[in-house]
Amino acid sequence: MKLDSGKKGLVINLFSLIGFIFLWHILIVLAREDIFNIPFMRLRDIPTPVETWGALAGSMFTRVYGPGVTYGIINHVEASLIRVIQGGVLAFVVGVPLGIWMGYSKLIGNILNPIVEIIRNMPPMAWIPLAIFILVTGGSIFIVFIGMVFPIILNTIHGVKSTDPRLLDAAKTLGASGFGIVTKVVIPSSLPSIVAGLRIGLGVGWMAIVAAEMVIRSPVGLGYFIWNMGDLGRYAEMVAGMIVIGVVGYFMNISILLFQKRFIKWAD
Amino acid sequence: MGRLVLKGVSRKFNNSFAVNNVNLEVNEGEFLCLLGPSGCGKTTVLRLAAGLDTPSSGEIFLDDKKITGANRECGFVFQEYALFPWRTVRGNIEFGPEVKGMQKEEVKRLSQHYIDLVGLTGFENHFPHELSGGMKQRVGIARAYANNPKLLLMDEPFGALDAQTRNIMQGELLRIWEQEHISALFVTHSVDEAVYLADRVVVMSARPGTVKEMFEINLPRPRVRTSPEANELRNSILKSLGAEIKKLVPQV
Repeated sequence: MKLDSGKKGLVINLFSLIGFIFLWHILIVLAREDIFNIPFMRLRDIPTPVETWGALAGSMFTRVYGPGVTYGIINHVEASLIRVIQGGVLAFVVGVPLGIWMGYSKLIGNILNPIVEIIRNMPPMAWIPLAIFILVTGGSIFIVFIGMVFPIILNTIHGVKSTDPRLLDAAKTLGASGFGIVTKVVIPSSLPSIVAGLRIGLGVGWMAIVAAEMVIRSPVGLGYFIWNMGDLGRYAEMVAGMIVIGVVGYFMNISILLFQKRFIKWAD
Repeated sequence: MGRLVLKGVSRKFNNSFAVNNVNLEVNEGEFLCLLGPSGCGKTTVLRLAAGLDTPSSGEIFLDDKKITGANRECGFVFQEYALFPWRTVRGNIEFGPEVKGMQKEEVKRLSQHYIDLVGLTGFENHFPHELSGGMKQRVGIARAYANNPKLLLMDEPFGALDAQTRNIMQGELLRIWEQEHISALFVTHSVDEAVYLADRVVVMSARPGTVKEMFEINLPRPRVRTSPEANELRNSILKSLGAEIKKLVPQV
């Protein structure tokens, strides 16, 4: 059987995934049979892939037991996603204009740079106490905002600064000035960078929301879910939740890449 | 309309003169070629005329109006095209009229006129990265023309093209220029190109650039590149230019 290199790559990807799951299974089974163990780890408590799959399927949807309600994983995904989108929209609305301003005006850049440089080096998680003790509401959205806004600002600045000076000259000889140059040249030419910032920001935002939800105890959200399941000793559900976090993050990244390919065709 | 005058124009970069005391006139409707060894400040002269750069001393006038700041009465054609990659052929050509705030139908009519004029009919919706070098420069020329300039400034516009495309584009430029006649200042380092295109050729000295010699090209168009008269002119221009290039030899 002959495959072209793209398909061959996909086959290798698939086998690698299957191999990983297989290895995982073997490791856990060996630990449970007391044949092999890693010191200081309770490997036997980790669910096998099959148990994880069962837990995933079992807790996917909301279930009602008499008066009690257990939210399904899809509800937790939905809650986390909505927070990331809210925080992300906020970060975009603040970060893009700020980045354009900082990149385009040397003065504004010099004024805001030191502040941005200090604050961006505080991890979003460091803001969680502030969010809990000071913010009345929307703490986890705020954490997402903090995580996302800096990659967006920095990439926007980079995009603005790498605008081809010849295009600026061309626009000037064609009669554009000030605002026209920004809207008709600087912004479109920075667009690939801005989208790259959004993509990086989403990755950070997704990490931040999970951490925030663990600490800011909202009753729904993936971070809350895996923490709660661990607390209850339901490790299969906990690991299933972790995998869902990875898969959702993966698809967020892919969807931005597809958007980029579809709408910013000229940037290659 | 379209008379460019440079009076004693100098431009210093880091305390060294790129161009020194340039006196030059482009007459109404004239096609003038600026020829010189590399680094002699040809591009600097063009950027000064476009108002993209300010002279350290001296003055520049277009139709007796002093040039201060980017001059929207010049159409600039860049060597590396400088097309907006996110705009289609039509979008690039419409940039100037759009900025001017012209009516939509008027903009569209104008861009179609210039698309047809430069021979890009059928490529209206292509993006620059989908075009060949020659086609990109057709867009560059159309974009400059669509802004209704009094003066065309061209900075080695065919420098990045292969020899054959280059010859074709020279012919095309003359065809367009004869249909919509405006003054033109054309920078090149090709003597052949200058003799084929220009009414007058100005040879610049090696850095710091200044006007060294002027040649009238009184040959009827379309010109035959290999005619004896053209050869003779090429010879004398090459001699004048060669003396300047010799000064650079240790540097090349």
